[in-house]
Order: sequence, then structure tokens, then C-alpha cells
Amino acid sequence: MAKAKIPINRYQVFQSTKYLFIHIFLMSVAATCIFPLFWMVRSALMTKETIFIDKSLFPSALQWGNFVKAWIGGNFGTYFLNSLFYTFSVVVGIVIISSLAAYAFSRLRFPGKDFFFYMFVAAMMIPLPGSFVPLVVLMNKIGLVNTRLGYILCMINVGLSMSILLLKTFFDKMPSDLEDAARIDGCGKIRIWWNVALPLARPAIAVVVIFNSLNVWNEFILANLLLTDDSLMTLQTGLFKFQGPNLADYPVLMAGLTIAAIPIIIIYLFMQKHIIKGLSSGAVVG
Amino acid sequence: MKKIISFCLVLTSFMVSFGFVSCSRPKKDPNTITLWHWMTDRDKTFKELAAQYKELTGIDVQIELFAPSDSYTQKVVASAQAKILPDIYGVLDTKETFANFIKYGYIADLTQEFKKNDGEWEKELFTKALDANRFEPGNGYDVPPGIYGVPLDVTNIQMLYNKKLLKKAGYDAPPETYDEFLEMAKALKRIGVPGLVSGWGELWLADCFASNYAFNIMGEEKVMATYRGEVPYTDKDWVRVFQIFKDLVDGDVLVKGVVTKPNKEAEQDFALERAAFAFNGSWSVNVYKEINPDLEYGVILPPAISNKYPMRIWGGAGSNFVISNTSPNKEKAIAFVRWLTSQKQQAYLAEQTRNLPSNKKALSSISKVLEEFAQSMDNTTHPTIWPVNESPVVTEKYTKGLQSIIIGKKSPEEVAKEIQEVKEKEMEKEQRRK
Repeated sequence: MAKAKIPINRYQVFQSTKYLFIHIFLMSVAATCIFPLFWMVRSALMTKETIFIDKSLFPSALQWGNFVKAWIGGNFGTYFLNSLFYTFSVVVGIVIISSLAAYAFSRLRFPGKDFFFYMFVAAMMIPLPGSFVPLVVLMNKIGLVNTRLGYILCMINVGLSMSILLLKTFFDKMPSDLEDAARIDGCGKIRIWWNVALPLARPAIAVVVIFNSLNVWNEFILANLLLTDDSLMTLQTGLFKFQGPNLADYPVLMAGLTIAAIPIIIIYLFMQKHIIKGLSSGAVVG
Repeated sequence: MKKIISFCLVLTSFMVSFGFVSCSRPKKDPNTITLWHWMTDRDKTFKELAAQYKELTGIDVQIELFAPSDSYTQKVVASAQAKILPDIYGVLDTKETFANFIKYGYIADLTQEFKKNDGEWEKELFTKALDANRFEPGNGYDVPPGIYGVPLDVTNIQMLYNKKLLKKAGYDAPPETYDEFLEMAKALKRIGVPGLVSGWGELWLADCFASNYAFNIMGEEKVMATYRGEVPYTDKDWVRVFQIFKDLVDGDVLVKGVVTKPNKEAEQDFALERAAFAFNGSWSVNVYKEINPDLEYGVILPPAISNKYPMRIWGGAGSNFVISNTSPNKEKAIAFVRWLTSQKQQAYLAEQTRNLPSNKKALSSISKVLEEFAQSMDNTTHPTIWPVNESPVVTEKYTKGLQSIIIGKKSPEEVAKEIQEVKEKEMEKEQRRK
């Protein structure tokens, strides 16, 4: 019996081919993003001798001791806790101050409102290195150089402009009906901010949190400039201890980088849904 | 959401109060001095020496590391303006910045300290290393003449050769002349080993190599005359200097990609025996030891082309410390640096960090390779101690010209002509400024 011919659905073939190419493209993009991370972890598991010779993807003998060396020898325990403390304090500070400021810029009427807002936005244009010397002089004058508080205040200042701009854009698009309802229920300005605006701004706040967490966690220059005591230093400053002008302990450096990357990867994985929502929230706000 | 924010607020207020507590800085103990440095590879040894010093004198030396060096420089500059410099630190920037630090009163004049006891301290240290910290009368920076810094170690840049690979090519001894060097490179090529590697992706290192041969071919006076604009770059001696790079390319002496290679990568090539010769500094002894402890190599001056003038190599002070002029513990800081540069401590530093000591007496206890580097300290020179320096614009054209020759884009004559054109423009500008 002759086989019945199965009709070819051209549309299905076209769709399958299209998806195949899209997936190949996305997989190659993903591979280029993941490969450096993989190479970092792989290098962290090698010895000082094999790292220059062994080009294989998976080292034959895994040197877990590099992580111990980085953690203990590099004083990473202290640096890690310091970085966590700075990141948490700065991000909380930024969220509170920027949401209050952004809400005020969006909803309140006061003299010089636009001027102050544009001043904040203009501050984004000032490159950080340009403010190094004035910052150190100022911090020294108010007795905050080489202190945790001094560094936290500077970092809050660094992150404010961007966060205010982002949240103000969000609040501008938020319908005022809910606020009116809250006002009828007897809420004051602060309570409206707390009970209405903040919960609605969750996706935008998520973006502010992740951007600033990344910024503070990876910040190096200001920490090196303002802090002097080893006990106050951050993880990023600690990483440079494995890297000399002529010589670097690459496996331990890579182990240190791996340790430093873990918290930020975790934060990203936890918040990625909010970030995507936050970035596209302009259209669906309220 | 509200619960999370409330929790964060409570936690933040706790943390901020913790931050406030930490902002009250303790008053400075008169028996404590602070040293800021950038040398990650020496931090442990410095701390060990500081502990020894505390046991000896009761003075607590706080060693604080800020790396990398760029970031260290920013910290020092910002701290100088905020007037919070430590007792001992280093100025890693240009000689002009060093001079400015002196003029604004941030650095103590150590001349009298060096002259004490018939110049005992000065005599112990390499003159070439001290020269980098010395300002002569009539210096162009308007700095009162004197010595303002203390060299901790010295360095120089020479040619290194792999003994095993040379033997494999049939040679028992390194080349003595430039022609012998080219011959050896050919023999090495026959057995599949590239000749010379250097980090010429870092332009200053190619400039240094060319400068060595410029001194050898035409002598110091003519080189300085060129910088003053009295001798053109199109002079046959300069063309001969540029021709060296063409010779190296034509003889296939250079490792592939040398023109973009950073020195760290070039060091790996030599350490892993992927090249028989390297042009590198004395700091590399430590690097090679870390990458390949079994590497057998020796050190020679770059093989000379001419017998008319001596081969001069770049070198002098490696790392220098200065004393803060405003430090209340100035005397104690000077005493510590004096102790750090004495024979015993210098020998210990050299042994631990494999750098050339700045104290001549400590040379007796260093490794053979380091000794070979040290033997040529008298041949060293450096742009920072030259009476006149080339303009940065001309130097840029010059080093880029060297790269163009290596990649075969331009001939030595073309490069010489182009550099001279830029030089003339710069001189015209200078004239107009005057």
C-alpha cells in the first residue's frame, strides 16, 4: 500500500525555523554572558601554576582551598559584612529619600520646584571623579572621613539623582483618583505617600533597589578614597589586595571575584520579575 | 510591602546609629605613625618589619595598603588637599606633581638627615636611586635644592635570556654584540623558538628600548641636543635607532603580537619558555618565580651596536617614600624610614619580595639573578633625571612611529621625518609661548 502523503504546512515550517533561529541567537547571547562567569569559577579552582598552562574547560584537580584563602587570607569576612552593611544602608536611604523627594516633585506645589528638580537631574551629569577632592575635603571638615556614616552619606548622594528621576516619572503617570480617595478618608500627605504611592510604586522601587545595590556593591574608588581603616573597607577594595602592579594571585583573585559576585546574582534572581515589570511599568501604572 | 519598609526603617536607624558611633575617631597616639603604600606584594613583609620595629622601639607603625597605584595616587592627592596625609607615603605621579607637593609644603626636606654623620645614610644608598628624589640647584621646578624622598628599592630594565633555549640552539653564552644577537635569533628560529618578547603594547617600554640604543649609538649629549631641538630626528643616528626595529621585524626576531602585548602577557611568554629573550625590568624576577620557579635565565645589557658610547639602560629608584612635612611625628617617621633602608631590613625585604635593595650593603645577600641586575646599576639613567625632556606630543609620535615600523606600515626614514615635523611644530609653539 502506498504511503499517504502528509501535506506540508508551510506556515508551521516557517514558524519552527524562525523559532529555531531566535533560540540559537538567544542561546549564543546567553553563552557570551555566562562564559566569563564560568571562566572565573573555573580559574578559581586552579593552582597558580596550572592557570597559565592548563587551557581545559574543567580543571583536573579542584582547588577549593583558594576560596578559603580568599576568605581568610584576604580578610573577606570583614569586607563582606561591611559591603552588606553599606549596600543595605545606602539602598534603604536612597529608597526613602528619593521616593519622598520624587513624590514631592510630582504632586506638591512649592516655589523653585522645577529648579530643584533640574538641579538633581543635572547632578547626574557630574562625573564622580570630578567630585573626589571636594568630597574628601567636605567629609574631613565635618569629621566624617574614614567613617561608615561618611561613606554611606556619599553613596546615598551618588544614587539619589537617578532614583528621583525614575520615581518621579512613575508618580507622574500614576492616576490621582486613589490619592483623592485617601484624602477623603482623612489621610495627610505623608500617609498618602506611605499607604498609596509607595505600594503602587513597587516595580519602580525594585528597579531603584537593584540598580543601587549593584552600584554600591561594586563601588571601589570612593571607598578607597574615603576609608582608611582596614576594618571599614569593602569587598571590592579587598579584591585588589590579590592584584599587584606586576604580580597577581589569579586563582585567589578569581575566588574572591566569585564570592563577590554571588550576593548580587542572588539579588538579581530574586528581583528579576520586578525589574522587568518596573522597566516597562510606565504603560501599566495604577 | 509596608511591613518590609517598616522593618528596613527600624534596621536603618539602628545601623545609622552604629555608623555615628564609628565616626568618632580616636585621638592620634604620639607613638603611632602611619604609612600608606600601594605595593600589594610587599604588604605582608612591611607588616612583619613594622612588628619588629615595635618590639625594638615601642613605636607602632600602622601599615595601610591602597591598591591599585592609580587609585592610591588619587587618594594621596585628595588627602593632601584635605590636609589628612599620613606620616609616610609615596608620590607616584610625575616629577612635576612631586615638585608641587614639595612647594605646597606636603613633603619634608630630608637633606640634613642624609648629611648627618658625614653623609652616612646617603652613602649607604644607590646614588642613582637618590637622584630621583633629589632637586639640584636651578632645577626647572623652582624647588629649593635638596633630597625629598627615600628610595626603598631600585630597579633597572635589561635583556633577559633563557639559558636552556640558548643551549638548545647551540649557544653556551649570551650574545655580546647586536649582530651576535641577530645571529642567535636566527638559530633559535630554526628550532622553532621566537627570539625576543617584550610588553611593547605599553608604549613606554618600546620607548625605553629605543632610548637604550640611542644612548649607545649617539651618546647622551646628542640625545639631549635632539630634545633641545638642535639635532633633527632625521639625523642618520636616529634613523639607525629606528632601523633596529626594522631589523627585528625583518629577522623575524619578535614574538607575534608584540606591538599590542601588555607586559604582564610578555612576562608569561618568557616564563613559560615561549621566547628566548625578554626585555624587562628587575621586578620580573618575582613574577617569573611565581609563574615558573624552574626557569633558568640570566641577565645582560641589551647587546651593543656601537663601541663608541656605553649602553645606558633605564633604571633608578623603584619605590620611594616621603615624609609628611606637617606630621607631628616627623622625627619618628624619619627614624622608621632610616631603619627600613638599613642593611638588615633591606636584605630581608630583598629576600622576601625579590626586589633590588636600595642599600648597597644589602647586595651581598641577594640572589644571583638579582645580583646580575644590580651589576649594571651604574649604567642606569632615567628621563626623570635628564636635564631636558622631550615634549609629550613628540614622544607620542615617536612611540607610535616605532609601532608603525614593527607592523610594517612605515619605514624608519618615514617615521624619522614625521617625528621631526611634529618636533618643529612643537618648537614653533614653544617659541610663540615665549
